[in-house]
Amino acid sequence: MASNSIDHASASTALKRLMCMGCGFSYDEALGLPEHGLAAGTRWVDVPDDWVCPDCGTPKSGFEMVVIGYADGGPELAQRA
Amino acid sequence: MLKTAHSPVPVAPAIPAPATPRSFVLRANERGHDLIRSDGTRSSYVAGHPDSFITRESSFNFHDYQSGRPGFGPIRVFGDETFHGAGCGYNMHPHHNFVICAFVLQGELTHINTAGRGMVDQLRAGDYYVFSAGSGGKHSELSIDQEDMHAIYIWFMPGQLFLPPSYHRAHFDFRTRRDRIAQLVGDADCALPIPNDIRISRLVTDGGKKHVYQPRSSSHGTYVFVIEGALRCGDTVLNRRDSLGISGVDNIEVETTSDASDVLFVEVMMIDEEIIKQWEREHPGH
Repeated sequence: MASNSIDHASASTALKRLMCMGCGFSYDEALGLPEHGLAAGTRWVDVPDDWVCPDCGTPKSGFEMVVIGYADGGPELAQRA
Repeated sequence: MLKTAHSPVPVAPAIPAPATPRSFVLRANERGHDLIRSDGTRSSYVAGHPDSFITRESSFNFHDYQSGRPGFGPIRVFGDETFHGAGCGYNMHPHHNFVICAFVLQGELTHINTAGRGMVDQLRAGDYYVFSAGSGGKHSELSIDQEDMHAIYIWFMPGQLFLPPSYHRAHFDFRTRRDRIAQLVGDADCALPIPNDIRISRLVTDGGKKHVYQPRSSSHGTYVFVIEGALRCGDTVLNRRDSLGISGVDNIEVETTSDASDVLFVEVMMIDEEIIKQWEREHPGH
C-alpha cells in the first residue's frame, strides 16, 4: 500500500473534529462538551439530530469535519467552550 | 550514469506528482443571493431602522444558500455585501476560529470587536481588516450613515484552532499601488498577518494591461474575483463580479479589458485530505 493512502477502517473510527460553518465553534469527539451534556468521547453521529451550535444556533448539518491542530492550550479551552 | 545488465528497474523518487490543473468559473448572477431585513424574524441579527436591509451575494455556500460550492481550499465564505440604510449591519455576535477579512469598497464600516482589549474601528473605501476570532470573540459591523456600505467579506479556516484572537487593519492606496498586483494580506512586507497559508492581493489598473499572478506553488489555488472592470484569463472573459477558481498551475496571466479594473487574488493551499473526503461521502449534506 502506498504510504500516502489511508486505512479506511481507521479513518472511520478515528476521533473527529468538526467546525460550525455559521460561527466557527468547534466540536471535538475526543473532548465532548461536558458543560452542554456531551461526554468526552461522544461521536458526532450520537449527538442528537436537533442539537444546534450552542453559540449561534446553526443546525448540526451546518458543521463540517476539519483536520486542524490546536494552538497551545486549545484542548482545555475547547472542552470548556 | 553507466548501467549494468543487472541494474534494478528505476523507481520514481517519492515526490508528489505535479498538481493537476483544475478550474471553475462562477458568473456574478450564479452566486447565492440573500436579502436580509432588519425587522421581523431577523431583527436580532440585522441592525438598523425598520427599512434597513443587507444584500449578500455569496460565492460559496453560506447560511440559507446551500446549493453552490462548499468553498475553495480553506475559504468558506466569500460575500459581496451591501448594508442599506442608516444603522444597518450585523448586531454583536460571536465567532470562533474563523479568520474574517473585510475589504471596504464604499461607505463607512464601523467595526466593534473584542479581540485583545477590543476596539471600535471605522473603515472607509480602501481600508481592510483581518480579524482572527481564534479562541472566541464577538463583533458588530454597522453602517451608521445614510450612505450604503459595500464590502467584500472572506472567511477562512485557521491554521490552528483556539489561537489568541487578533485584529489588524490597513489601507490600500490605489493611487500609489496602482498597476501592480499588491499583496495586502500574507507574508509580504507590510502585508497584514494571517494565521494560515494564505495571500490576498489586489490589482487596480487600466484596460489593456497584462499581469501575471504567480502562486507560491502549483499545489496552491487562486480565487480571482473581479470587483470592477473586466479581464481575460486564457480563453475566459471575466466581467464585473465574475470569478475564477484555479489550481495546479504555475502562474495566472490576466489581461484587463476595461479601464478601472479592480481584481482580488486570493491564494490558498488546496485541502486534499482523504479522511475528509471519506467523511463527506459518509455524511452527504452533513
